[in-house]
Amino acid sequence: MAGYKGPGLRREAHLCCDPTHPSLSSSQPVEAKTKAQGMSHQSDVLPCDQLRDQVIGNQSSHTQLMETLLHLRQTVDDCITQLTTRPPQLDLPLEEQRHNQATGEQEAFLRRVVNLLQSGAMWGLGLQAPRPTLGPRDDAGGGQQAQLSRQLDQLVHQLSHLEVAFVSHDLSNRGIDISAFERSKFQDFKTYQGDKYHEDKNTMGFINLGVSENKLCTDLMTERLSRSDMNHLEDALLQYSDQRGQPFLREEVARFLTYYCKSPARLDPENVVVLSGCCSVFSALATVLCDPGEALLTPTPFFGGLVMGSYLYSKVELMPVHLDSEITDGSARPFQLTVDKLEQALLEATLKGKKVRGLLLINPQNPLGDVYSRDSLEEYLEFAKRYNLHVIIDELYMLSVFDDSVTFRSVLSMESLPDPNRTHMIWGTSKDFGISGFRFGALYTHNKEVASAVSSFGFLNGISGITQYKLCRLLQDREWIDKVYLPTNHSRLKAAHRYITNKLKALKIPFLNRGSGLYVWMNLKEYLQPCTFEEELLLHHRFLGNKLILSPGKTYMCKEPGWFRLIFSDKPLPLKLAMHRFYEVLAEQKRDLRVKQLEDPQKE
Amino acid sequence: MFALPEKESRAPSTCPGPASTQDLDSNCGDGLERECSRKPDQKLPELYGVGDPTAGFSSNSSHLSSRGGIIKWFWDSAEAGYRTYHMDEYDEDKNPSGIINLGTSENKLCFDLLSKRLSQSDMLRVEPALLQYPDWRGHLFLREEVARFLSFYCKSPAPLQAENVVVLNGCASVFSALATVLCEVGEAFLIPAPYYGAITQHVCLYGNVRLVSVYLDSEVTGPDTRPFQLTVEKLEMALQGANSQGIKVKGLILINPQNPLGDIYSPAELQNFLEFAKRHELHVMVDEVYMLSVFEESVGYRSVLSLERLPDPQRTHVMWATSKDFGMSGLRFGTLYTENRDVATAVASLCRYHGLSGLVQHQMAQLLRDRDWINQVYLPENHARLKAAHTYVAGELRALGIPFLSRGAGFFIWADLRKYLPEGSFEEERRLWRRFLDHKVLVSFGKAFECKEPGWFRLVFSDKAHRLCLGMQRVRQVLEGKSQVAEDPPACQTQEPRDRHRNCALRSQDNPSLGEDLPVK
Repeated sequence: MAGYKGPGLRREAHLCCDPTHPSLSSSQPVEAKTKAQGMSHQSDVLPCDQLRDQVIGNQSSHTQLMETLLHLRQTVDDCITQLTTRPPQLDLPLEEQRHNQATGEQEAFLRRVVNLLQSGAMWGLGLQAPRPTLGPRDDAGGGQQAQLSRQLDQLVHQLSHLEVAFVSHDLSNRGIDISAFERSKFQDFKTYQGDKYHEDKNTMGFINLGVSENKLCTDLMTERLSRSDMNHLEDALLQYSDQRGQPFLREEVARFLTYYCKSPARLDPENVVVLSGCCSVFSALATVLCDPGEALLTPTPFFGGLVMGSYLYSKVELMPVHLDSEITDGSARPFQLTVDKLEQALLEATLKGKKVRGLLLINPQNPLGDVYSRDSLEEYLEFAKRYNLHVIIDELYMLSVFDDSVTFRSVLSMESLPDPNRTHMIWGTSKDFGISGFRFGALYTHNKEVASAVSSFGFLNGISGITQYKLCRLLQDREWIDKVYLPTNHSRLKAAHRYITNKLKALKIPFLNRGSGLYVWMNLKEYLQPCTFEEELLLHHRFLGNKLILSPGKTYMCKEPGWFRLIFSDKPLPLKLAMHRFYEVLAEQKRDLRVKQLEDPQKE
Repeated sequence: MFALPEKESRAPSTCPGPASTQDLDSNCGDGLERECSRKPDQKLPELYGVGDPTAGFSSNSSHLSSRGGIIKWFWDSAEAGYRTYHMDEYDEDKNPSGIINLGTSENKLCFDLLSKRLSQSDMLRVEPALLQYPDWRGHLFLREEVARFLSFYCKSPAPLQAENVVVLNGCASVFSALATVLCEVGEAFLIPAPYYGAITQHVCLYGNVRLVSVYLDSEVTGPDTRPFQLTVEKLEMALQGANSQGIKVKGLILINPQNPLGDIYSPAELQNFLEFAKRHELHVMVDEVYMLSVFEESVGYRSVLSLERLPDPQRTHVMWATSKDFGMSGLRFGTLYTENRDVATAVASLCRYHGLSGLVQHQMAQLLRDRDWINQVYLPENHARLKAAHTYVAGELRALGIPFLSRGAGFFIWADLRKYLPEGSFEEERRLWRRFLDHKVLVSFGKAFECKEPGWFRLVFSDKAHRLCLGMQRVRQVLEGKSQVAEDPPACQTQEPRDRHRNCALRSQDNPSLGEDLPVK
């Protein structure tokens, strides 16, 4: 239907960062600006109307639909009013939040819009929450006005884009949410898929340092998976199996985790459930632990993909625990999670009427690369126990700690868990073995109820018997893992990390120097003028323009603009080329900033 | 904005009877007792029934959410039967007195062929792209192959498009994703009953969508009718009934070939059902998972994709999988075909939860591409074996004077054991099922398929001859009231397994040309 193509095309036009695009032109007439500012109630109706007319066309019989649309438009209007009158920080302090006069319904809608916009930035190309900057930080020049009008333009465009999505009468509301979500990335993914970098065939293609995949050991993995022991076939593998996963695989996972997590006691296969990927495990877990609308606390920045995991199917929300890059009294390092912050976030959520059911931790952390010390971990678990919160610990990168001086402690290594019945650990082979295409994730929980409930998803999120067999063989081959795979993987990760960090040092770019994960979390604030999320997005687009994909901090719900995550676990050749492109973009950005600086005083 | 579940009014849907998980699990009975006890609440049970499992459910878990409690209940009710069977699974050598499974709808007749094909060198390719994140809709090479495959085997008038294909890990997932993107919480799909009961759970777990049963009768009402025949009138009445109860119905589920009836819809019937759906702006989900398991050539099966013109193509969604037709339910490969791009996109974005390994995707593409093997080796052999097994079981039932339905499609026979239930209650039906299990043979009872008449049972015949033979002997012993059984029955006991095979084969030769309906009653 018309609504399908429309938004995609429009957004592409909007994303191409074409300087001739009127909305990006700095010579935007003042007229446009006033119009944009006065947009709150009437003028924004125009684009919506046009779009709707395009889409609905002659389907005038759908009176019910029209009514819904009218209602929606009113809601959108109200939201725009709210957004335009809100201070620049979306994450307002609690006081201000409470002053917000929005009705519950509007707020819910707004939250959904913001949720969608925020998380749509998975690829960074997608929808981005517009942040009208009326705050005092912005200089009051003509450029700023143009910027404002541009932002409002974007806002109206994006909201009307959402509205267009609502026109689809084949989907349920949640289907529309899900679909809008996908669309925001779909085109981008397609663009990337169609123009991927390839050593020989397409050296000009996109280099993807945005998706966390370990491509350093595909040679080892391909060789291992090609050995004949992998190709065993028996009838049980082709038939329905235990919904929790084949017993042989669950036994192997229990052995594997006992060994690599250094568990004080043998782990029990009965506590293992395997599903098709960690996203599935998380989604199933969120569903059985939380009712729709309930929430999990999550220290941010954190891996945004999990937002989808919780939101799409289970409608579970994530309440961010915002961490600061600055080192303060209570913290010893940037973005440090403290119990104080957890307490505060929990209090805020409770005051907002949110029911918090648990705490989500990622260890080693993504995107920071931090590893929690045993004491910290214990404190977090004790905190959770005090409030009867579940703790979901994602240890997806536990074997990707490549710096020997870093000691990773799995939650399963603890002598005694403060609240074993509410502690649930997730692990998978995607990152540690560089086989995200295998779709394998495992849950380890002492709580039989939770294990049973999650097992109900065994058919919806099940793994092929053939794949389960291969995984079992892989995890079983301790000799190969310890003597071949892990040492090679770690030394390659180390080398790639060294290469990237040296480059960053040479460019004087601050970054967190951690010895785990597949990524570097770096600060490009210096290149943003002003330091806003809009500028972050523009810089991101500049990288894209130069065929380089990175992930902007906004994707991780980072509250400070300017941070980017860069995946370094790629082969030397693309990595080198990527850094070349990276350097080019930053040089260009610097030139532009200088020009801007020269121009600004002239204007005043 | 978020629909908060109030457990009383709109937590899951329908009755998670034992059959609500896979057939495998379907045969046990904890959930059932609860279910039977609330049966009288239903209004107009003869026309339709609205599923609402929470009536008999109470959660007292301190760790789970309220929906988590219900989800766990699904598991528990499945788990009991699962345990019974799996703790004592029949094995020719290791556990000859174990339980024979005639309950799970799986084709175990062609593992030799499949294993050979799947072990050929083209299947074993490993390349980096297969190990990394795929396009969530499925690798393009596979979607293209699926489109070609369906174009050919569904005899579509025009080539089908890879763009309209979404690949997921099984049809269960397709149901789950479709329910979620087409319905709000608490809305419903119509489904003619008896039906494959696991769908209840598929649409409920994530989607919280319920099923409205369109009850069909075994009684034949006219010269051109057949038992359990679906008609537009019945659909209309069920829809009206659900509407009058304030239930919003969003779609219709058709299973064709039907499970458990083994029935197939004629093109004219199909067209009528689709027109009905169009009139009421209902989506139609057509589950054609047994489309290549029509082993009687005379049956003339037609896929919905073969129709010249779909009444409402934007609301017609077709699903198929290799689980049944290629006897690999454990492979978890299913696919959705829909011309509706909105639906395809929405389902695709849920695929991150329903993905399947790149290596398996490669294998599936290789398999579907091998038209020579499929047409010349696999299908003829598979159909011949299905036919022989069917002939044997049908003959056994005839010998017992048991009426049954079977039209030459699927892996099962829908048998009428009402004469063994003096009172004709579901309680008796369950007791009879239990007696089968006690005599080490697992079958599925009609209640698990939401059949409204007590006394119907589904027997799966797509198993190896020696197991089938033993299973049928146990069935016969139960029905003939002999109760010493539990071990190898006397007829087979003195013979070597090999002879047993021959014995069965011979016997099935004695009863050729089955497959036509026996009149019910």
